[in-house]
Amino acid sequence: MIKGLTIRRKQSRTDQSLPILLLLPALIVLLVVQFFPAFYTIWLSLQERFPTGWQFVGLDNYRLLVNTSLFKESIGHTIVFLVGYIVLTLSLGFVLASILNTRLRLSGFYLALLFIPWTLADILVGMVFRLLVYPDYGILSGILGNPALFPPKGLSVLTAARPAPLFGSFPFPPAPAMVYLILASSWRALPFITLLLLASLQTISQEIIESARIDGANTWGIARHITIPLIFPTLVVALFNLILTGVNSVGMVFSLTAGGPGTATFVMSYLLYNLGWERLRFGQAAALAVMMALVNWALIGGTMRVTRVDERTA
Amino acid sequence: MVRTLSLSPKTWRSIFLNGFMVTFLLVAMLPIFLTIIISFKSHKDIIRKPPVIFPCDTPASAFDLRACRWSVEGYERVLVPKLTNSFPLIQLTGRMFRIYIPNTLLYALSTAIGVTVMAGMAGFALSRFRFGLRRALMIAVLSITGVPLLTNLLALYQLGVTLRKTPIPFNDRAYLIFVYFGFYLPLSIWIAKGFFDTIPRDLEEAAMIDGATPLGALRHVTMPAALPGLAAIFLMTFVNVWNEFLAGYLLVTKNELKPVMFGLYEFLGPNIINFQMIAASCILIALPVVIIFQVARRYFFMAMVEGAIKG
Repeated sequence: MIKGLTIRRKQSRTDQSLPILLLLPALIVLLVVQFFPAFYTIWLSLQERFPTGWQFVGLDNYRLLVNTSLFKESIGHTIVFLVGYIVLTLSLGFVLASILNTRLRLSGFYLALLFIPWTLADILVGMVFRLLVYPDYGILSGILGNPALFPPKGLSVLTAARPAPLFGSFPFPPAPAMVYLILASSWRALPFITLLLLASLQTISQEIIESARIDGANTWGIARHITIPLIFPTLVVALFNLILTGVNSVGMVFSLTAGGPGTATFVMSYLLYNLGWERLRFGQAAALAVMMALVNWALIGGTMRVTRVDERTA
Repeated sequence: MVRTLSLSPKTWRSIFLNGFMVTFLLVAMLPIFLTIIISFKSHKDIIRKPPVIFPCDTPASAFDLRACRWSVEGYERVLVPKLTNSFPLIQLTGRMFRIYIPNTLLYALSTAIGVTVMAGMAGFALSRFRFGLRRALMIAVLSITGVPLLTNLLALYQLGVTLRKTPIPFNDRAYLIFVYFGFYLPLSIWIAKGFFDTIPRDLEEAAMIDGATPLGALRHVTMPAALPGLAAIFLMTFVNVWNEFLAGYLLVTKNELKPVMFGLYEFLGPNIINFQMIAASCILIALPVVIIFQVARRYFFMAMVEGAIKG
């Protein structure tokens, strides 16, 4: 550290040991916890555990996994979940950020309150939402079960079956439990997305908006032609962030529905847990993890592109 | 009437927007209000069918404020306080406070300290030095920022299983903390680098011209300026580990070593209606985090926006 500061100006190859030394602990950790598992998972996905031990089975795990009906179904559930989660969170986040950006006197107070859900653990949020609608005893299940409000028999959110699918076997319309899962997930993600969009909106100078208004643009026109194009990169970051957290979050499913009723909320992340730790099909679980990791990497790559990493790493 | 009509359009707009925000927040806070209500109900009111929202009904009327049967039974059953003869006279003997919260405090504090130190060093190196591998390393760190724990967990679990069989001494606690290090480091390195980038080097150089040693310049000039950033990393890591469930649940074998979120999950037994306990423990577990967050909000916001736009 001492050397680096003084000799910085006359950079020479021999001074390269100090920064590497500073980086070394972090690099070792990342190598073991992030890079090694990525390759180990690929290797695992080509093996399966038999009573005699691990055996190389080639691409069998992928074939077996892709042919299970639950895998296909879980893709459908994940898509339904993601679309609901993204549309709800992004549109509400944009509206809230726009309102907070008008610099109401109480904006800081609103933001503080709004932020509470984001600080709660996903599994805890799942528990709270489960308590509210638990069959028969949940605090809201009396109201939801009222036949006058939800004909014909009232609604039991966690146990009501999925309606007959409209498009082949694609799980749409979703079960009430899935809608509720989307609601709980959006509830928790909304503050973060709002903050992200608000930070971006605040960089737009008021003068542009004012001059557009003087030129006769209405609120919608301003949003469409000025605000949204200017914050577009942030919208994409928010979108990718939502997909990434949506695909990989399992804690909420865990405590809220545990995949049920039946398989109505069996999203891919829950299938991964189910395959790996409940049915002990490690090979197939690894195959699924590899597929999901590819999606993750594509999303992260996309985010890096949008935010133009080259400028930031300079 | 005349007075109201004379309000300017700007005032009307402000009334409308504030009204919208207040209504929205009331609806958004509903799950929290309801959980607080549930946590103060007694078992008799929890197992009633059909459920009532407030435990305040009497045979005569549906809602009578004087007849409310509030109770702290849920908190009592979570904490299980026992009187003792020695200081502090009261002991919390529930598993939550005897086992899981101390575990989580250990994990969260060790992880937060480790991550802050390592991210501080790495961020300083990436911000202040120009060396051969710098760009490659930065791309590597950046590309794993945001990689979710879930897809790596399977390999980390198998790694743990394998290591336990080898003669190498293996400690569940240390392994979990190590995994948390790796999971929370990438984002923290970025935040640290961002903060060091904002501290002008001229400051250090000026201090050294004035006779400070490089180490002195680092300690008296750079470190104080970087402190808010390091504090943000510490707090964010602490809160993240406090809230983490899956790794703590799957990578640790003995229940006695599992973190607080497992303690919460444990209450979710089938066919047991113990909602007052679940609600009370949710509130007890969430309270520290909510308080930390509200007190240090500014740091969190800074770090989060930085982190999200970069990662």
